[in-house]
Amino acid sequence: MMSTKIKAESIYRIYKVRNVEGDNSHITNHNGHEGLLALDNVNLEIKQGEFVALVGPSGCGKSTFLDILGGLATPNSGDIYIDGKPVKGPGLDRGIVFQGYALFPWRTIQHNIEFGLEIKGIPKNERKDIALKYLKLVGLEGFENRYPYELSGGMKQRVAIARALAFDPEILLMDEPFGALDAQTREVLQIELLRIWEETHKTIVFVTHSIDEAIFLADRVVIMTARPGKIKSDIRIDLPRPRLEGDLKSSPEFARYRHELWELLRDEVDKAEEQASENIRGAAAHQEEKPAAAWQPQKQSAV
Amino acid sequence: MAKNWLTDINDKLLNWYGIVGFLILWQIAPTIGLIDPQFISPPTTIIAYAWTLMETGDLFIHMAASLQRTFLGLFLAVITAVPLGFILGGWFPGVAKFLRPLMSLLGQINAFSLFPIFILFFGIGEVVKISIIYWSSIWPILFTTIAAVQHVEPIFIKSARSMGAGRGTIFFKVILPGSAPAIFTGIRMGTNVAFLMLIAAEMIGASAGLGWLVHNASMNNVIPRLYVATVSIALLGMGLNYFMRWLESTLVTWKEETAVE
Repeated sequence: MMSTKIKAESIYRIYKVRNVEGDNSHITNHNGHEGLLALDNVNLEIKQGEFVALVGPSGCGKSTFLDILGGLATPNSGDIYIDGKPVKGPGLDRGIVFQGYALFPWRTIQHNIEFGLEIKGIPKNERKDIALKYLKLVGLEGFENRYPYELSGGMKQRVAIARALAFDPEILLMDEPFGALDAQTREVLQIELLRIWEETHKTIVFVTHSIDEAIFLADRVVIMTARPGKIKSDIRIDLPRPRLEGDLKSSPEFARYRHELWELLRDEVDKAEEQASENIRGAAAHQEEKPAAAWQPQKQSAV
Repeated sequence: MAKNWLTDINDKLLNWYGIVGFLILWQIAPTIGLIDPQFISPPTTIIAYAWTLMETGDLFIHMAASLQRTFLGLFLAVITAVPLGFILGGWFPGVAKFLRPLMSLLGQINAFSLFPIFILFFGIGEVVKISIIYWSSIWPILFTTIAAVQHVEPIFIKSARSMGAGRGTIFFKVILPGSAPAIFTGIRMGTNVAFLMLIAAEMIGASAGLGWLVHNASMNNVIPRLYVATVSIALLGMGLNYFMRWLESTLVTWKEETAVE
């Protein structure tokens, strides 16, 4: 087996909240942090080139965990190591793809893809070549001068993937990237993503709600519990690759995995539902996240 | 075929029928004595008068005077309000929140009512007219800039950060372009208010400008000249609005077309 790429060691994350009486994840921890425990001792090791899917009910902290991997959020305790080195913040060794595409509407497709390259300090001509190369990789040749508003959701997400790949990170972190797409587009992009992954040999961490998507894509599916988020189980998916066949999803092995994962996930989904209704009854806990940037002190959703 | 051609023309002229009808009525009513031509000059008289004012170049001098004041005042308002809005909205949102009620109050003060005070401070020269423009346009620009900065989508900032962008990069490559459309709306609002205020101010204390022309015509009872000035103000105001929209659509090319009228 290949070497360890990402290592998460006893990650704890606490949200500062008001008015959380009656919520069993309301804690004051050993460091004196008061609030809602979002991540409770998460430990995870991901190998070089591995495709890992992270599944869990809404609000379980899986996106928060991805933000921590990306360096966009900091854990209250615990460490993330990439190639054995602790993560201090965001960096070009990791590319992130968000559910909302997050393409800059004022930039053309080409210039969107070039964003990370500009930060990397790559000269203009080279940037263009790289952008066009990745645009081709995601199947959008000829769209370089379009603006995001001219593209469909699926095309935007292809651009977002190209942008995250363009500065050549070793790790791709994907936060429910296909969540906003219709079922057909979603399937097409899943197959595309596998092809890109096989071409580029990236390490991918993929957060999703969908059990089917997780099984179809990943080498390993990591299931998280309802809040506070812990790792409940870590299932290896031994389905043959390349998984480009449309009928893999109707095979008995696939069904077996689906059943197994759903059994594990069901209790957690129920628990998350209960928590959600309690929160609404308890006059809504206002989550106060750490600011995304100095510019935006009040707003950022973490879960 | 001929019919098609006619409907084509009809479609193109549809917006103008109202104006043309109005002009015809305007022309006929005073001519046949339905209303007193002393008070309402018919368009032909006004155009003839405008022509003489253009020949002497007087009209252009007044237009230029008004425009120059508008642009100067506006320019000063933009270069103070936009950076101030960025600083308050971006770095000191707490201060911005704290100052908000005060700023809305100041923004509600009609610049025209401050005119006597401005005269006390700045005398009767150019400075006082420019300060009227400045005062009336700075508030809408400041408000919209603060709001624009604070409403740049957090996901854009998060996305930029994920690619290792520092504060400077985020400011110049995300916050600035992301808030540009909203800031332009503020500038356009400011321009409209400022132009109205300027004309009023010119009526009180000026020796040139379209407002002065109205005032002068009224004092000397030269009614056609009054109409020339009024029509020029309306046309110039419209022109200014078109110019700002043109400027916006030239600088912000990335937005979906939203009914540019």
